[in-house]
Order: sequence, then structure tokens, then C-alpha cells
Amino acid sequence: MQIPSSPPPGPFFASSEDEGDDVYMAGVESEVPHSSLPTTPRTSSSRSSPPHRLFLEDSDDDVNDICTSESPSVRRPIVVDDVLEIDIDSAATHAKAGPSKPFKKSSSPLDAKQRSNSGPPLKKRRLSPQDTHITTNSFPPTYLGEVLITNAWSNVSGKGYVKPNESIQIQRDEVAAPKPGPSKQAKSVNKKTGDGKKQLSLATMLKAQPTNNFKKKKVDTIVRLVNSRGFEFGRLPTECSWWISKLLELGVVQIRGTMSDCPEKLTTGVSLIVTLHFYIVASAFTPLSTSNSDELPKLTFNEGAETNEETSLRERKSAVVKLFEVIGLKPQAGANFKGKSSDGKIHEEALKRMAQHPTKKVKEIVGDGEEIEVEEAEELSKNDIDTIYKRAQHNDRTMSEMEPADTFNLTLRGYQKQALSWMHSLESGKMNAREAWSMHPLWSEYSFPHEPCMNDDIIDLTADEKLFYFNPYSGELSLDFPKAERNCRGGILADVGMGKTIMLSALIQTSFASDTDKGEEQNSKGKAKQIKLNNAFRIIPKGKQQPHKPPAATLIIAPTSLLSQWSEELQRSSKPGTVDVLVWHGQNRLDIEAMIESDGEDDKTIKVVITSYGVLASEHAKSAKSPIFEINWLRIVLDEAHACKSRTSKTAKAVYALAGRRRWAVTGTPIVNRLEDLYSLLKFLGFKPWSEFSYFRSFITLPFLARDPKAIEIVQVILESILLRREKNMTDSEGKKIVELPPKEITVETLEFTALERKIYDSIYHTAKRNFDQLEAKGLVGKNYTHILAMLMRLRRAVLHPKLVLTEKDGRALSPGGDGNVDVNDLIKRFVGDDTNSGEKSNTFAETFMANLTGDDIAECPICFSEPEAPVLIPGCMHQLYVFLSSSTPCSLMDDVLLSCKDCIVSHIGICEERGQEPQCPTCSQGALKVGWFRNASASNFLTAVQSSDLVEIIRKKTDPDATLNSPASESGLTFRRNDFQSSTKLNALIKSLCKLRDQDPCFRAVVFSQFTSFLDLIQVALERERFDQYRFDGTMDVKKKSAAINEFKSFSRKGKVLVVSLKAGGVGLNLTAANHVFMMDCWWNAATENQAIDRVHRIGQEKTVYVTHFIVANTIESRILQIQKRKTAIVNEAFRGSKSDPESIQNLKIMFGDD
Amino acid sequence: MSLPKRIIKETERLVADPAPGIAAQPHDDNLRYFDVTIEGPDGSPFQRGIFKLELFLPEEYPMAPPKVRFLTKIYHPNIDKLGRICLDILKDKWSPALQIRTVLLSIQALLSAPNPDDPLATDVAKHYKENEKDAQRVSQEWTQKYANLD
Repeated sequence: MQIPSSPPPGPFFASSEDEGDDVYMAGVESEVPHSSLPTTPRTSSSRSSPPHRLFLEDSDDDVNDICTSESPSVRRPIVVDDVLEIDIDSAATHAKAGPSKPFKKSSSPLDAKQRSNSGPPLKKRRLSPQDTHITTNSFPPTYLGEVLITNAWSNVSGKGYVKPNESIQIQRDEVAAPKPGPSKQAKSVNKKTGDGKKQLSLATMLKAQPTNNFKKKKVDTIVRLVNSRGFEFGRLPTECSWWISKLLELGVVQIRGTMSDCPEKLTTGVSLIVTLHFYIVASAFTPLSTSNSDELPKLTFNEGAETNEETSLRERKSAVVKLFEVIGLKPQAGANFKGKSSDGKIHEEALKRMAQHPTKKVKEIVGDGEEIEVEEAEELSKNDIDTIYKRAQHNDRTMSEMEPADTFNLTLRGYQKQALSWMHSLESGKMNAREAWSMHPLWSEYSFPHEPCMNDDIIDLTADEKLFYFNPYSGELSLDFPKAERNCRGGILADVGMGKTIMLSALIQTSFASDTDKGEEQNSKGKAKQIKLNNAFRIIPKGKQQPHKPPAATLIIAPTSLLSQWSEELQRSSKPGTVDVLVWHGQNRLDIEAMIESDGEDDKTIKVVITSYGVLASEHAKSAKSPIFEINWLRIVLDEAHACKSRTSKTAKAVYALAGRRRWAVTGTPIVNRLEDLYSLLKFLGFKPWSEFSYFRSFITLPFLARDPKAIEIVQVILESILLRREKNMTDSEGKKIVELPPKEITVETLEFTALERKIYDSIYHTAKRNFDQLEAKGLVGKNYTHILAMLMRLRRAVLHPKLVLTEKDGRALSPGGDGNVDVNDLIKRFVGDDTNSGEKSNTFAETFMANLTGDDIAECPICFSEPEAPVLIPGCMHQLYVFLSSSTPCSLMDDVLLSCKDCIVSHIGICEERGQEPQCPTCSQGALKVGWFRNASASNFLTAVQSSDLVEIIRKKTDPDATLNSPASESGLTFRRNDFQSSTKLNALIKSLCKLRDQDPCFRAVVFSQFTSFLDLIQVALERERFDQYRFDGTMDVKKKSAAINEFKSFSRKGKVLVVSLKAGGVGLNLTAANHVFMMDCWWNAATENQAIDRVHRIGQEKTVYVTHFIVANTIESRILQIQKRKTAIVNEAFRGSKSDPESIQNLKIMFGDD
Repeated sequence: MSLPKRIIKETERLVADPAPGIAAQPHDDNLRYFDVTIEGPDGSPFQRGIFKLELFLPEEYPMAPPKVRFLTKIYHPNIDKLGRICLDILKDKWSPALQIRTVLLSIQALLSAPNPDDPLATDVAKHYKENEKDAQRVSQEWTQKYANLD
């Protein structure tokens, strides 16, 4: 077997350098328990004795004694026999152990003596590997495999050192670590020191290891070949000695060597062919002490450097992994087991792909393109993150359910009961909620191979397979079945839109202190002491009460905007008086301690304190210790826990400083965009060992940066045990959707620009396109990315309302003074103003006028031929009309003049202005035409130019049939107002829909989303004009205003209400199930963001069908955005995260400016 | 591209209630394109003539005027050899409140009352101004020659 050369460049530590390896290694040695074990295990070492005896014997042995007492020729078969016997022994009955003795040839007199002294030489190995101590102590060196090394070399000259087929010893120099007991071997080591030093430089020359004088430890990897008489005659080549030396030093294996071939006469440097048989020894299974301090490593400022601890872990791991690779040992199950199912393969590929995720500087453009943040490597795409969650979601369907406590006032859905059960069992330590797996997922299972027999061909096929376990991530070995272990109370609740608040409320009420503490006591070893102390003060329901009750309160930390929602939800979900909620926020914060002190013996209310991250951080910064950090909370809940994803932030530090027995992190995005986001949550949860930064970094961050798929696997494994994540579209065990929501109907309403809007839009578009084409021709698109995005932004605004892009000089000033109402009497007076003497006429006019307006048979708009939706008056013609009236001109004409769609007339005026003509009443020109106007166009001098802001709108309310014509106009259901508000296609469409809605359902609730607050302003003006009750929610408002807006919007009323929400501020967290109509005014690059906004309304608690209307203007950038959304929905959130070299982004830009 | 409601309504009304002496029929394959016939008004040199025209409603209609052209040769000071018509409502005096029907009525009226002061076919206009009788005779001849379907 050819051994691959030289150590691999540490797959887990891409950034580490080889040179440091040995130095650190040696330095650490004293901390590693195994270093005190014999590092030169020899074939003669006793198999049945516990490690310390082994060691003593070993050290007592004189090397020479052994050598002389042994006949080399017998030696090789012995080895085989030994192992064979072990196999049989361990496999079979007790009885076999005795009879097996005759087969055995003692390897040394000493060995034999010892064996006979100890009666049955080998105890039957325990079949149930549950107890580490026993199994480890009685564990004999067990055959693992063998390897042929063809390029060992001799370092002596002369005959008689060694013959083919002779047994040889594989030795490693003693390490200078302090060792108990006198060691004669030390002498032999000392003898060779000079040699070793010299060799060191030879062996390590290529590796360029700096000698670290600070640690005066060995830095070489020499493995010596010693013949049966104790003379060193050769060495193993460096390409395999690096790992063999580690294995020997760390006491993982014994190596029994056989000289397979060598020349009769050795010369220095001659090649030797050696077979090495590896036997795993008991000490290998000693649990590793990771000497985990709870503190972060002191080197936090230099996180790139490995700590000694990390080095040691890594070396052991890579040596063992290498050994397994060389001897061809494959796992049977567990972490590295390669499943055959194609599913597994796909999964693996996904992992690999993920690991190969290019590390690059990423520019992220958020929202309006104004925020640009540059993030470094480590980013994960959404698909990647989904892959990570997939494993944790694997078994969720079959989880058991649990009923909430009596005080819980709502009905939980099935999946919510599952969550309750899961959370409850995590808190109580009965971690059986997910039974599907039981082996610790980081471990893999191996079976001991049968040692090939040399003497006889007996292979005991009846022998049980012996198993052992290896953790390829940490290098740990175990004979015990590694059970998945949990050492923190709590976890991560990462459900998406499933009513997390309600689930936690149920948990708070169901799992309060008293009924789970017994469980806690039994189950936790490490915390036993603390819990006992706590127990002494805990509320015990049946009488045994202490004078002072300890806090059994839950602390909830949430973003400021959600504080009141939490408080309300908690109250709503509990029977009155059972839950006591304190919102600890604002200027006058109450005394928490007083609040959570129980009022009396019978006080069984459940205390909940709610505060914000901001308050917590500021309390933490105070010099005096805040009570919030003094209290040992029963439970701490972090809502939207990604708020403290950066472990160095003040918020995160404050959160870590809290004392609590149970901890929950609630967030829809435990991993926002990098793996280390998760670390902060694990740290908060105290999920050892991953809450240790060095550990997390060694096993997750660094491997991930080195594109090692294992990193992702580990994260999956971690999440599997502490994360619950369901999504709305998941199905339960019966295949039903776990959340039954009322249907959601999405309509995309495609609108057409008015001519004027089109003209404005087109001119902006063409400028932008020209710009883009020029840049593209020069290949500068990537460099001017921001500029292009700004242009796109302008286009997107232009679609909404021209005013959002026009400056005052080219747009007609918007004068939102008042609601533009016009008193009809003023109006009439104004029109009859010239004719002051004809009061009667004016009355006649007014009556006829009103009669026409209120009449049921509304004339059609002369322009679009439909019933006018927004009738307007043209003031100039009204004057004219009066003349007609007074001269008994048929008033059929009047309708035509009076009523005209506002849109039609406005766009008509727009076109007239474009042409540089005086806008004229379209119908009056017709009148002029009849008298031969085409002969002399200027004859129509009675027309006045019509400005669109001069138009008077007629607002037709539901006419009260009792209203008499002669009554004042306001009572006849008509109001008039100046048309001083410049609307837009989209606004009109919205108002039209809302008006229709108001007609159908007078107490409707609608939510209007836009990403531009400036557009929200315009929407509000438009709503105001239409007299809608409206509320606003955007990021600039303070907490009180926000919650007031939401509450008023939700509160019952007979009137319809509209809430205008900024997509960014209100897209997450809010619960707006009171509404069931959603209007999306613009489109976002990312369909997911839109969906999330819609989910504010379409979520648990919604009982009606949700109607979503999406307004899109045809032939604009919006349809292209939709095109991009459709094109690659999966990666769309990356679409505009471009860097210069990102072809995807540029492709997307080309769509934006492409010709259809 | 769907047809605006207005065009549909106008077409319906034109067919259901045609103006006297005027017929307009949209093409099956293009509903914006109309075959039009106008009878020459009584008392004019174009009397008894059946004049064929084509009418097209552009995309912007009714904000922009329809395009109308005589297909039948006609001797008229405001209509040129190519059939183009000089009529202000077809140009700058267009109003969206005008319709196909009113446009065609206007054209018919134009036949009754040529306006040589604002000519398109200058030679015809000159002829009309200098010798209206003779010019009317030519118009009549042309009508006989080109617009007589009998």
C-alpha cells in the first residue's frame, strides 16, 4: 500500500500554517491527558491491564530485557493470534476466554506471567457500551488494520539488525512532558537526543518549521524502527510519520510492525519495506478534555490564530482521519456514512455547492438603492440557508402534541401543540421530542475489522460485530454509543408566520417553574447544584413554601415596535388575572423586582416582563448593576433574536449577561446571511460546546471558509437538536397543510398611463436607456452600478406618480391645502357673478343644474363614452350654459358640457398643452362647429382656456332619495371641490378600487403598501380627498404613534379604514389580520419581500379571503421587474446584490433596458 | 391590443343608427380601419355621387383625430389629388368630443361648402375663385366620371 505523502493542508484550518503545527502540538501536550501514557507502545505491552498498569510495566521493562528474551521468529504469528483471540473472546462467551489460552503464545515472559496472574486474561467485553469507565479500562488493544510502508529507510549500516518477517518495534521518542515514575526508556531516548536533533532538521527541512523556543518541546515527528533487541535501525518516512507520530504521542494506537522486506545488510538510507499493524488502545477512548473555559479565548483580537487547544484537537483529528483513510476503514453509520439514496446524493451535492460558494466582496443594495452595505465573504444565499434548515425540519411532522395549561384561553392548532410539546420537553430536559435519531449526529459508527489470520483459517463468523465510534469533527473516539446530548434548556423557535407569539404564550403558561423542576433536578448533572439552590426557594404548589419566593418570571426581549403586541397577545391568550404582564420600557420603568415578587402565598399568577433590546443594552451600559441582570429568570425569550446576531454588539453582550434558566431565541431568520449569525444565538442559549467561540470557529466558520461541506453538516446537526422551523406550506403527517388559511386571491391589475404620464415616463426612460447603452458599449456597467440603480429608481417612481420625479417647475404644484372643497353656493355665485341683477335666473340655473346633476340618467362622457366616474364641471362653459339656459336653449347640451370624466378631460387638456394650444372644452367646440366653425375657428371666442386645476369635481354620494332638489347642495348628496390635486394612473386605480370596496362593504379594512414614503404622502392626500379614514405606518414614526395607528386601524368601526404602510417598516412582524384587502402599489425586486408584506394580512388569525391587488402600469419598468421575478424566483434575492463580475446582475439590468 | 370601449360604442352606433347619406363599416381584421361612403349632398356639384373614403383611428384616438382620406377622385378646393382633406377638426381643431360620425358629417358639409380661401388643391381653388360656375361643372363631371356607381 502506498501511503499518500505529507500532511494535507489541514482541511479544517485553511488559514493556519503548517509551520505552527508541531510547535503548538508540543506545547499543548501537557494539557492532554494522554500524554502521560506511554508514547512508545510496544508489542509487549499487556493487553489486559488497565492503562496505568500498562504504563508502569512498560516503564519497568528494560528494553534490552525484552529484546533478549524474545525470539524474533516467533513474534509475528503471536500478534495475529492475539488478535484473533480477542475477536473470539469479545465475541463469544465467557467460557471461551479460558480455552483460548493454549492458542496463545506469550509475546514475552512478562506478559505471560502477568496474564496467568490475572486469571482469565481477557474479560469479556461489555456488549452494552454504556459505561465509559468500565469499557475503557477493560478494553484490549484491538486490531484496526494494517498498512504497508515501502519507503521506510535505514539509518545504520551493517548486518544483523533485522531480517525479513521479523517483528519490529515502532517507537516514538518520549516527549519531554513531565511524567510520573522513573523511566528507563528515557535513557534510551537521551542517548539518541543528538541524533534526533539532527534528524529534526532533516525531517522538517521541507516544512520550514520555525523552532519555537518559548515552548521547549519536541517539534519533530520522527518515528523510529527498533529491532527486537532495542537497536534503532531505521525510520519511517516523513509522509507517514507525521500522523503516526501523533497517534503514538496521543496514545491512540499501538503499532506492531513487521519487517516485510529488507536487504540482508543494511546501509544508511536503504529502503525498508515495513508492515504496520494498528491496534487501538484503551486510552484512545478516554474522553477528550477540551478544557473549555466559559470565557472566550483571550486572543479575541486575533481570531485568525489557532489556540493551542484548537491545534491539538485538529492534529488528533487529522491523524485519526488519516489513519482510517490509510487502512481503509469506513463508517457504517452516522456522520460520514454515505447513504446510497439519490436523495442523499443530491443533498450532498447541495452541500458541496454551498461550500464552494464563492467568497467575495459583496455589495448589497437595499431598498431605495440608497443603502449600500459591503459585506465580507461568508455570505449564504437563501437556497443555502434552506438546505441548512432542511435537516432540522426532517422529522417534524411526527412530533407529539401537547395540550396547553388551563389558563390558556385560545385554541392551539395541531402544529402549535407540537411546538409546545417540543419546547416543553426541551425545557424539562426530557429530550425525546424528536425520537428519530439517537446517535449523536457528529459521530459515526465503525466496526472493528477482523484481523487477517495467518495460522489457521478460522474466522468466527458468529462473533458479534464490535463497534466503536469516531467523531470525525473532533477526532474523539468512543466505545460508548454517543447519545445525542443536550446541555441547554431552550432552543431556537424559527417558525415562519405560524403564530410564534401564541406558542410561546402557551409555553409560558404551561411550563412554569413548579411542575418541571423535578425533572430538571433529575436530568441535569452540571446544573444540579444551582437548581437545588433555586429549588429551595421555588414555589412549590403543595404547601412547602419558603418565606421568600424567588422569581419565577419570564423575561421577553423584543424589538420596540413589538412590545405592545406581545403584551396584548399575552393578555388575550390567557384567562383574565392569570398572567401578569409588565412592559418595562420608557422613561418611568417600574421596579421589576417588586413586580415579580409574588404578592402572597396564593399568588399563582405568571409573571412576564417585556422589554426591548434598546433598554436592555442601555441598562447593561450603566455602571450600577440593573436589577434586570440580577434576577435569575425562569425563562428568557429573545423575540426577533437576530437583533443580536453580531456577538460583539452591545445588545448581544447585554443579552449574554442575563441570567436565566431556560432560554429561547425566537426568530424567523436564525441565519441571516452568514453562519456566525447562529453563533450568537448558541452563545445565548449556552449550547455547549458550540457556545464556545473557538469551538464554533474551528469546526464551523473556518471549515466553511475553506469550503469544507462538513461545516454545513455540523450546522445542520446542531440545528437538528435545538431548532424548530416549520413553514406555512408544510404538510402534516396526513399530508394536510399544517396551517389552513383562508384563500388568497392575487390580482394583477394592469393599468395604462395617461398620455401625459407616458410622455414624462418615456422621456426619463429614454435618457436612462441611452445612458445605459453607452455604459454597456464601454463595458462600464459594473462600475456604474449605483448610478444605474439610481436611474432605475427614478423610473420606478415615475411609474407611481410624475410628481415623484418632476421638480416644481415642470410639475404643477400640488396644493394640498384643505381637501379642496368648494361651496356650491360660492360656485354658483361665481358663475352668475356677472349677472348680478338676475337673481331669478340664477335660481333657475341652480335648480336645473342640480336637477341634472342629481338625476339618475347620467349622461355619458363625451370622450370615453362611459358613464362618468369622476364628473367635472368646466367653469367657463358653465357660464355659457347659463346663457343657454336663459335663452331656453335645450339643456340636453348641458349634460354633455357639464359631465366629463375627469381623466378624459385632464388628458385632453394635457394634450392641448403639449401641442401648445389653448385647452378648450371639447364639447363646446362642437357647438361652434355646428355654426360653421371650420370656416372661422376663432369665432369660438366665448371659450375660456381651461386649466385642469380650475375644473370642479362633482362628488356624487349615495343620493338620499328624500333630499329635495331645492335644499342646499350639501344635503342633496353633492359636493364640489377644486381639482387642485394632480393624481396619477396608479392613484386613480387605487381610489377607484377603494371606492368600489366601500360600496360593497362599508366597514372594510384595507392595507396599502408602497416602498416610497413620498408616494405614501400622495396616497394619503388622495385618500383624504375621498374622505377615507386612514392611518399611516412608517419607519419614521415613534413607537407610540405606530402602535396607536395600528390599534385605531384595528378597532371596530362602521366605517371603512385604510392603512398605508411603508413596505420596509411594516413588511415584517406586524399583525394586520383585521384587514383582508391588500393593495400593492409598486413592485419590489424580490417577490419574497412582497409576499412577506402580504403575509401581514394573510396569516394566522385571518378568517376571510384575502384579496391582493397589485397595480402595474403596462409597458413600463414594472413589467420588467415582474419578468425578473419570474425568471429566477429562487435566486431573485441575489439579483441586485451584484458585484462587477456578477453576470447575473448585469443580465438583469439588460432586461431592464432591453427592447421587448 | 383591446379596442377601447369608446370605439366599440361608436361603431355600434354608426351601424345601428347611420347618419343619412353616410356609411362606415370597419374591417373585420382591423376594427380601427373603416370603409366609408359619403353621398354627395343635394344641391352641390357632388350630388348623386357616391364617394369612397378610408378612415383610420390611430392609437391615441380619441385624443388624436382620425385619419381620413378620399379614395374616389374628387374636384374640390379642400381635397387634393391624393384624397387628403383640409379640415381643421382633422388637425388642430380636433376635440375628443368629436366622433367618427361628426367627422364624416363635417366632410359631407365640406362638400356642400367648399372653402377656396383655405385651399389644399391650389389649382382647383383658383378655378373656384375665378370661375365658380365652371369649376362646379368640372366637379360635376368628375362626380359623374368617378363617383357614379350606376
